[in-house]
Amino acid sequence: MCVLCGQDFVAQVHWTDRHLEDRAREAAPGSDPVALQGERRRDRAHRVALTNEILRHYGLKLDDWGGSKYFLRDGKGRSELVQDLGSLWPAAERLAGRTLDPLEPALVGETLGEEPAFVAAEGG
Amino acid sequence: MAGGRSTRPVTIVTGFLGSGKTTLLGRVLSEPSMSNTAVLVNEFGEVGLDHHLLRRVDERAVLLGGGCVCCTTREDLVEALLELLDLDQRGEIPRLDRVVVETTGLADPAPILHTIFADPVLQHHFSVDLVLTTVDAINGDLHLDRNPESVKQVAAADKIVVTKTDVAEPNAVRSLLCRLGAINPSAHVLEAAFGETDAAELFRLDGAGYRAVPKAFDGEPHDAGETHSVSLTFDGSVDWTAFGIWLSMLLYARGEDVLRVKGLLDVGESGPVVVNGVQHTIHPPEHLNRWPEENHHSRIVFIARGIRPEELLGSLEAFHGLLGARPLPLGAEQSVPSS
Repeated sequence: MCVLCGQDFVAQVHWTDRHLEDRAREAAPGSDPVALQGERRRDRAHRVALTNEILRHYGLKLDDWGGSKYFLRDGKGRSELVQDLGSLWPAAERLAGRTLDPLEPALVGETLGEEPAFVAAEGG
Repeated sequence: MAGGRSTRPVTIVTGFLGSGKTTLLGRVLSEPSMSNTAVLVNEFGEVGLDHHLLRRVDERAVLLGGGCVCCTTREDLVEALLELLDLDQRGEIPRLDRVVVETTGLADPAPILHTIFADPVLQHHFSVDLVLTTVDAINGDLHLDRNPESVKQVAAADKIVVTKTDVAEPNAVRSLLCRLGAINPSAHVLEAAFGETDAAELFRLDGAGYRAVPKAFDGEPHDAGETHSVSLTFDGSVDWTAFGIWLSMLLYARGEDVLRVKGLLDVGESGPVVVNGVQHTIHPPEHLNRWPEENHHSRIVFIARGIRPEELLGSLEAFHGLLGARPLPLGAEQSVPSS
């Protein structure tokens, strides 16, 4: 934990975050850091919007939390901060009281994301 | 990157007890081109391996809190690889071309992959380029019938080496090859009689390795069983973020039953994304700049235990609004006999 900003040092990058990490690492020295930052924010907002399409079936909602973590909450006001998709699903299981399984028939019967998903990252 | 060079390739050699791993390694390591290859073995078998970079590791697995078997860290392997890295960086051994890790016959290869991908130091210096699985042409069927570890080893393979073909019945070999193709249609299958095989071919990544394009299984369908494989494509480009959400969710819920995911995914960029996973462990996905061949369509293989192909296809169909494309099965769906 950094004493100045309260952020955890993340030694392990989840595989779903690797492409952004790799792109940032491979960026030429003179490249615009703002452009990379913007791309990262757009990617996170897109992920939040898509994930919420699934989470709403379980009464859960996800928000981006300061561009570094995600804030997961249920309708009862319980919440958890998660780092990435690797830690999202176990946290969602704790809040929902059951495993979120993409193969479960109730979900398979649905058509997720039929409507264009708008960015729902209203949290900070 | 490590000091201006790319990561050191690690090849995992696995296979059931007595399937000829050590014989094969003994032959291959005697070739001059393999002199800068380090070898980590669990046990010094009866067939002595003679190689100057041979190290013995005692299997010590650390089960992470609440973790499953495939997400264990092999402490012994971390120590051995760090020692090799140290020697290599200090110039005390010739520059390492490759590390070969030979597993025990009963080992599940997933923890070895997990160890290298998850360790904060190793992940920057080593990469797993190939999982080689040896299958004995005489007893292979028996091992696959009786030992779930054997099926996992075949599912995890990028290349399968069928050994002892010199003493097996040709019909039995053909039947075994067909069964192996049904379990793992993405693996490249080689035959090695008397442990004889070409080291260059064995370790060459063209047409195999983690970037290989999976093909649909075109053999005869087998009776229904526990392990199913399905090859599929999509009718358009897939949203990579959505696919990551779906796959991470699937692996959390059913990871121990998803023995293998391998393929190239069209994500609407100039090249595909290489997806390769063994149970919960996913290789760092690589976004290629261009397609390795003319066909620019997604191709992905799932090998799963206790999950029917139609369940996977149904789930992807339900997610098509998020993914941006519908799944289409490639070839006939296959199921692999468990007995």
